[in-house]
Amino acid sequence: MAFRGFGGFTTSGLIAAAILWSFATTDVELSRLMSAGPRIADFLGRMFPPDPTVMAEIKKGSAETLRIAILGTLGAVILSVPLGILASETMVSPAVFRPIRTLLAFIRAIPLILVAMLMVGAVGLGPLPGIIAVAFHATGMLAKFYAEAIDGVSRAPIAALESAGAGPLVRLRYAIWPQMAPVVARDTIFRFELNLRESLILGIVGAGGIGFYIQTYVRSFQYDKAASVTIAVVVMVIAIEAINVALRRRFA
Amino acid sequence: MSTAVEVDDLSFAHTAADLPALGRVSFRVPAGESVALLGPSGAGKTTLLALLDGRLQGWSGRVSVLGAPLDPDRPPPSVRRPDTGFVFQEFALVERSSVLRNVLNGRLGRMSPLRALMGSPTKHDLEIARTALADCGIADLAERRVDSLSGGQRQRVVIARCLAQEPRLILADEPVSNLDPARAGEILALLAGAAQARGATALFSSHQPDLARRFAQRIIGIRGGRIAFDVPTSELNEDATAELYREVEPIPGIGLRAVS
Repeated sequence: MAFRGFGGFTTSGLIAAAILWSFATTDVELSRLMSAGPRIADFLGRMFPPDPTVMAEIKKGSAETLRIAILGTLGAVILSVPLGILASETMVSPAVFRPIRTLLAFIRAIPLILVAMLMVGAVGLGPLPGIIAVAFHATGMLAKFYAEAIDGVSRAPIAALESAGAGPLVRLRYAIWPQMAPVVARDTIFRFELNLRESLILGIVGAGGIGFYIQTYVRSFQYDKAASVTIAVVVMVIAIEAINVALRRRFA
Repeated sequence: MSTAVEVDDLSFAHTAADLPALGRVSFRVPAGESVALLGPSGAGKTTLLALLDGRLQGWSGRVSVLGAPLDPDRPPPSVRRPDTGFVFQEFALVERSSVLRNVLNGRLGRMSPLRALMGSPTKHDLEIARTALADCGIADLAERRVDSLSGGQRQRVVIARCLAQEPRLILADEPVSNLDPARAGEILALLAGAAQARGATALFSSHQPDLARRFAQRIIGIRGGRIAFDVPTSELNEDATAELYREVEPIPGIGLRAVS
């Protein structure tokens, strides 16, 4: 549909122009790529075999990344409960939820690494700026998810409990929460997975975790050690995903 | 004999509530009687039943339920609400909870708020819930989650929840409209039988005259928000019934919308 007629012609032209513009102004030297073959091979050669003596650093770094993700997610949950309520269409008036939703969209638009850099500047090196950055960044998405969970609750069972004489807290417990709980659990686990993945690289800007070692080893040309850490990161990501898939199935 | 429902000159028009209006409705139901509200979709049956359940405000006239007057501006106090049980047309079950949990939800108004919040029903509460399940023929479904049930099974859960509430007045909004005719007869027999066995008054709405005739002692015809007739079942005549289903004329001055 989009590529039919004059509109389609214009769209194709714009895409072609964007690609040509990128090539023409970026100085892509194809000859350099051609001659780089041996150097890439040399680089990979220096990564191989990975140096297994860095296990201690890997353990320390991954434990710190895990702590950053756990505490960052906790912070995001604490911020997202009130913000989720304030961003919900069914709980507050448009005068409240519209600006809150815009605010959350702004927060989502700021990349985590940028927040982390600012936080390192504000509170210094270490895991603390990482935790604050993760909590802030994740709230943009989690509060929106919580608001959607609140808005997805069907009203009829609430009215039924009210008709049976149940008070507001009892209705929250037996009509609202059972509908929301699985959605909230699933969304929180999903956000935790993202937090863990994204915080793996926070160390590069000095905000703690395993990324610090990747950065250190690459800068000091210890590619075999950097390779070990990279493998550890890949293994962690795959493990997180596997655990997450299993958990999410429980909340179907 | 005491009076279960007394409605005098009741009018209701609420465009925001998206419900059909009612105009100058008056009738009286003695305790223990089974009455059918008969009428086409949008006649105001749901409006009338929800109003008697204390869920609608902003009406005019006088309404008394189980001897206590309803306040046109605020819902009845929660201590009075368990006495009036409601069978919702759209079921209004908590889909992810078990059948037993949903039936116990009918007991919540009978428990102390603390016990209700703690989630610890007494033996008595459990016994009543189990009896209601057995009466509705779904004792074996107690541990099943509602979202795994068929429409007919859900309908039974809704009735069991209402019975577990031990209501003295049962209001049922189109309790069989989601079912095929054979099932519909079965469920209405169940509802009418359970009401009678418990000495409860039953007021149910239906758009099917034959079902109303089989299970009610008295039939109130509603059309366009007004009472068209109010007769003992034996005196219901075909012409009056046919008249009910002629095209509905709106009450003058009220924006009437056909919403089932």
